[in-house]
Amino acid sequence: MDGRLTKDLPNFRPNKAPVKKTVKEIIYHIVGIILSLIFLFPIIYMLATSTKSESAYAMGVGTLNMFLPDFANLGTAFENYKSVLLNYDIWKYALNSFIYAAIVIVLNILINGLAGYVMAKLRFPGKRLLSFLIIFLIVVPVETSIIPLYSIVKIMLGLKQEMSVIGVILPAAISIFNIFLFMQFFQGIPKDYEEAARIDGANTMGVFLKVIMPLSKPIIATVAVFCFIGVWNDYLWPSMILPSANDGSWPLLPIQTALISIKSIEGITTGEIMASLVITSIPIFVIYVAAQKYIVKGFGTAGLKM
Amino acid sequence: MKKLLASIIAFMLVVMTMFSIVACGGGGEGNGEKEVDKDGNTIVKIMFHVDKSSTEGQAYQKRIDAFNAAYKDKGIKAQAIFKARSAGASGYETELLNNQLEGTLADIITFDAPNTAAYAKSGLLYDISSLISAEEQNNFYSLNKYEGKLYGLPIQESSAGFYYNKKIFRDAGIDVSAYTADNPWTFEQFKDVCAKLKAHGVTAVDMRLDATKDETAPYLLYPFIYAAGGSFVSDDGYTATGYYNSTATAKGFQFIKDLISEGYTSYAIGATDFFTGRVGMYLSSGWTIPDLDNKYREYFASRDDWGLLPYPKDVVAASATGSWSYAITNNHHSDKTATVELLKWMASAESSKAITDATGMIPARRDAETNYAVGSPEYTLLKQLELSGKERPATVAYPTFSTTFNQIISALDNSDVASLLNSATNTLQTEMDRLKNLK
Amino acid sequence: MLKTSLIILVLFVLAFGGFVAYDLATARKRREVYRVKSTATAYLMLLPAVALAFLFILLPILYSLGYAFTDYYLLRPNDINFIQLQNFKDFFAELSTKGTLYNAIKNTLTFVVGVVPLQIGLALLLALFVNRQGIGSKIFKVCFFAPVVISLSVTAFLWEQILAPGPNGLLNSIIGMFGMAPHDWLRDPKTAMPCIIVLSAWQGCGYQMLIFLSGLSNIRKDLYEAAALDGANWWRKFWLVTWVGLRSTFVYILITVFIGACRILTQPMLMTGYMDHTVTLSYYMYNKGYTERWVGYSSAVALLMTIFIGGITLIQRRIFREDK
Repeated sequence: MDGRLTKDLPNFRPNKAPVKKTVKEIIYHIVGIILSLIFLFPIIYMLATSTKSESAYAMGVGTLNMFLPDFANLGTAFENYKSVLLNYDIWKYALNSFIYAAIVIVLNILINGLAGYVMAKLRFPGKRLLSFLIIFLIVVPVETSIIPLYSIVKIMLGLKQEMSVIGVILPAAISIFNIFLFMQFFQGIPKDYEEAARIDGANTMGVFLKVIMPLSKPIIATVAVFCFIGVWNDYLWPSMILPSANDGSWPLLPIQTALISIKSIEGITTGEIMASLVITSIPIFVIYVAAQKYIVKGFGTAGLKM
Repeated sequence: MKKLLASIIAFMLVVMTMFSIVACGGGGEGNGEKEVDKDGNTIVKIMFHVDKSSTEGQAYQKRIDAFNAAYKDKGIKAQAIFKARSAGASGYETELLNNQLEGTLADIITFDAPNTAAYAKSGLLYDISSLISAEEQNNFYSLNKYEGKLYGLPIQESSAGFYYNKKIFRDAGIDVSAYTADNPWTFEQFKDVCAKLKAHGVTAVDMRLDATKDETAPYLLYPFIYAAGGSFVSDDGYTATGYYNSTATAKGFQFIKDLISEGYTSYAIGATDFFTGRVGMYLSSGWTIPDLDNKYREYFASRDDWGLLPYPKDVVAASATGSWSYAITNNHHSDKTATVELLKWMASAESSKAITDATGMIPARRDAETNYAVGSPEYTLLKQLELSGKERPATVAYPTFSTTFNQIISALDNSDVASLLNSATNTLQTEMDRLKNLK
Repeated sequence: MLKTSLIILVLFVLAFGGFVAYDLATARKRREVYRVKSTATAYLMLLPAVALAFLFILLPILYSLGYAFTDYYLLRPNDINFIQLQNFKDFFAELSTKGTLYNAIKNTLTFVVGVVPLQIGLALLLALFVNRQGIGSKIFKVCFFAPVVISLSVTAFLWEQILAPGPNGLLNSIIGMFGMAPHDWLRDPKTAMPCIIVLSAWQGCGYQMLIFLSGLSNIRKDLYEAAALDGANWWRKFWLVTWVGLRSTFVYILITVFIGACRILTQPMLMTGYMDHTVTLSYYMYNKGYTERWVGYSSAVALLMTIFIGGITLIQRRIFREDK
């Protein structure tokens, strides 16, 4: 209807458009803000609760007050943050998570990127079997394989005490799904780039590092962000294989695992738990927002084909 | 082509699977060798389920340090391993099992009391019946037994009861001073109080009917069934039919159902409603005491504002008990005397007191010194434990029992008790039969 | 264990070698040319990924497939016996009693049927909504993605407050304004699964929104202009240009959301516990394997589930595969 109208009366369009456009813009943004609130309410709740004492929190549960800070006691709003940061060594665990994430991201991109490149660009016998295995391994449920995985890391590879850090990093460094993403992305890169480099005498590895990788910022950023989120949010696996802190030495646990044990400390308040959750959520958001413009492109280009 | 591909892979997987089965079960058995440090001390390892930095963990460490000081001359050295059970049930247990598989399991471990049967049957725990004298055994409120043999000694005890809001009770003119642990109230008296509270316009009691996602509801509610004369499983832990669905058991559940249908309690009570003065009574264990003392000052300024009532009795008096225990593992490396010394040290009255002073729970032993004022909540819990404490059913199928119990509670308001019990009994009995066949 | 793993490795290499030989033998028929050098480079570059994938992904899966034919009880890792197909017999015996397992399958199917269209639809709408220039849409994009990164335990707790059964529960206070009685959303078998479906779609759709956005960015702008010149309205433009352009993205999203939906575990676990009206197949598997400690039986369920998911995925691929 709209299209027909403007087509029939093309001359009226320039006059009407600006007003109509502003109205449309305003409606668009109002709808957007409402939708955003629907998606943001856990964060609003986390922020609000993190400023409250236990009884203020208890009073608000089940009412809209749970999404609002405790206005009566705004002066003490940051008490929970202070006590969490001072009492529970959160920064040490956060630093651990950063280190694990950094190593995992680098390894992940190199290892899976290479594999994705081979699968996308090279011809070799056995490729069809590997393609099938990739899809197969994405499909298989992994819920029950955590018990054998534990035995493999602890018993077969014998990774104990400090060495178990390797058991956190290596299994996270391989991701079939990321190989799949890389493969899809590389398939969209025209052959011409590679051929030009080959004429200049580059070998396959050289082509990968010097031609393909620089063209692949979007997929690298995408994989990096999801790796980061994955490592940062993982708690079950590290808690199973890492030793708990010993006397005074630097703890090995990552942040989420530490958070779970902090949550179970007697006497900790809901506000303090939420404050620690807010603190641990900040890095994810910063990194996500920073890499945002690449992520959309990362999934694209080749158009994911399953 | 695709079919061929698929069939080749399928074949490959089957072949590998067969091989993995044939070659399975390689892990090492405990070798019984004793471990010695560089000064020639015998090392005894003990594994705890808490984080080292927690108050409880620190209390354990202090007792270990004291042990090492006392046994320095005897050449025994204890070493503590802390493995927080943070990752739910699987974390600590997986650690336990893989240590068992590697043959590196600590000489003494801690474990949750309902697991006694499963762990003992699986050969994880060492039979200590002959190592602990009958006299010593009598000192404990409860013992971890399976098929008549002793496998564990409790670290500390817990009990539960009804916290009540004294302000509300005063306003409603209800006097409950006569109901003490020595002389608990009856089911009927309990209902009377509920009726008065309801007439006063408040929700009478939070029975924690919504706490059916974990062990909370089974732990808090099972005493009602015992109180009504019911039971859950046979003594050997392998028969549920005729116990779980007996009329007496149904009577216990019916009592809870009546509380719902008469409007005294409901599933809709918020988790913090009692703490903000909206509910008269709250069923919970001892660890609510510090919360009421510290966290909700606006509503409960002092102990004049709240009190603790025991479980009501019907045919008999019964109350909740149970906690974590110590056990010697079956493949303890260290020599037996050293291990038993450490076990006795950790389970001693002195240790029991030191640890419960830190955790706020009840000592596991009658001879541990306590200085609770008569009538205080702690005193009520201790007295109740002494007089009517009854353990949760001892069965290898405990996890299934716990699940079915939760399912019954969750469906109590709109289903008939007998049919709920029959279906739960069937599920539990099937599981028990399966476990019995596991040789 | 090392010995077993080595045997598996040898078998894997043998099977793989056999397949490579098969590929080589049929190379001419498929008009494929393999060069020695490029093949060597390919395998060298694949080595790290294949080694890690074998060790940490394939091997655990194979072990757990192997456990499906044993009586592995979690507490007895040293005493595992081969019991042929007993676990599968038990599975079908339990299925026939129409108990928890039957409900688990029913609930999982309900969940899949409900959440797949809802989540994909929401994701597509959100993607269309933010697919434009301007700072506003950029901010909205970040907001819509937020639930994906927030830990599930926080969101589950919140939804519990929203769906709380009392008259003070958020949803109940809202319907209370319209004079409706409070409802116990998560305990009523009729509303529990729909609530979990809505919560899951809300939680996950931000991720698929991103993928749809990337699909949208690949559609050439001139196609819209051409359609506009032909006088197509919004709906026809969407149908003729957007939808056609999003086809392969859609198939990908359909398959991944479907697989994820089949595995639903955390939401019912955190929201209701192990209840017949919300238990799902993954939850059943988890409960059998960890809580009741039947690792062998649980692995057998996992195996059946894998066959089921894999089968449906293949059918989906066949139906939606582009014919070109």
